[in-house]
Amino acid sequence: MVGLAFAVAIVTALALVGVALVFRDNGSGTTPTTSPVVDLTGIPQEGTVLGRPSANVTLIEYADAQCPACRFYTLELFPSITKEYIKTGKVKTDYRGFPFIGPDSIKALRFILAAGKQNRLWQLQEALYRYQGGENDGWVTDDLIRERASEIPGLDVDKLFADAESKEITQAAQAAAGKAQAVGVRGTPTFFIKIGNKKPYYIQIRLDLADMRAALDDALAP
Amino acid sequence: MNDRRLRLAAALVAVAGVGVAGYLTWAHYTGATIICTTGGGCETVQKSAYATIAGVPVAVLGLVGYSVILALIAWDAPSAQLGAATFAFVGLLFSGYLLIVQVFVIDALCTWCVINDVVIAPALAVLTAIRLRS
Repeated sequence: MVGLAFAVAIVTALALVGVALVFRDNGSGTTPTTSPVVDLTGIPQEGTVLGRPSANVTLIEYADAQCPACRFYTLELFPSITKEYIKTGKVKTDYRGFPFIGPDSIKALRFILAAGKQNRLWQLQEALYRYQGGENDGWVTDDLIRERASEIPGLDVDKLFADAESKEITQAAQAAAGKAQAVGVRGTPTFFIKIGNKKPYYIQIRLDLADMRAALDDALAP
Repeated sequence: MNDRRLRLAAALVAVAGVGVAGYLTWAHYTGATIICTTGGGCETVQKSAYATIAGVPVAVLGLVGYSVILALIAWDAPSAQLGAATFAFVGLLFSGYLLIVQVFVIDALCTWCVINDVVIAPALAVLTAIRLRS
């Protein structure tokens, strides 16, 4: 009887593994969207900051270009946040890198920061997320960056590449992870809110619009 | 260890299994673990093609499996004991497969999944099997 149960268990497990292999859900949403998910035209941009400089509330985002969760935030939630809070001048948002996943994270950050030199940081980070590959599988190629960058109006691609190689940007990208860890960042995306010139505070939220809105509304409340 | 203690131990391990699988199921549906953490990798694992089978998260399979085993341990008739051991053994083999997928295919480990694959599933298989012999 025990032997029979043993045999049944093995057969069942093998069948389960077989079904798992055949029916694994492949390629969910991996086809890149070719056009930007959010239109940033007309929104002031200065370095790492997107939004009206006079906005009293700053949403600080620590991100890694290789992180799927950051991709989710940018592609799924950021368009609504932009429309409701940034375009309306209520909030500005500041990009900080926490490139911890691998060497490609630092490479991507170099180019993202370099785009900031031309006030196009937010366009480039969004474009890279749309073409994000697997973690550390080498998707952050010069070709990919060149193609994405050339699709961004007003971005000088040759200058972008020169800036990305510059000492200033390279050092900033390499120091970013340490700086983020120094303020307690352990993962991405991590958000802080800064009101006026007060010390930024960490917001612990789920990645959904309701939580993001609640945190921003709370910060905006008089 | 007498049979009463073995039964209690098996029940506790099964409860731990329900807990871990329940947490992973909850995390899967609420997206609460959508964050990339240093030394983590849960995101990669839970978002990988192997995390679901025809749309059903493997965490749900675990939740159902552990619940059935817990019910069989509670019932405790000889046939239920055999059923619990059989289910636990299926769970052990399937956990082995999931562990192999994490290490060799998607190259990422999820802490809670590994706790299940390396501790809970083997412990439950051993405990329920020993009870059959005693």
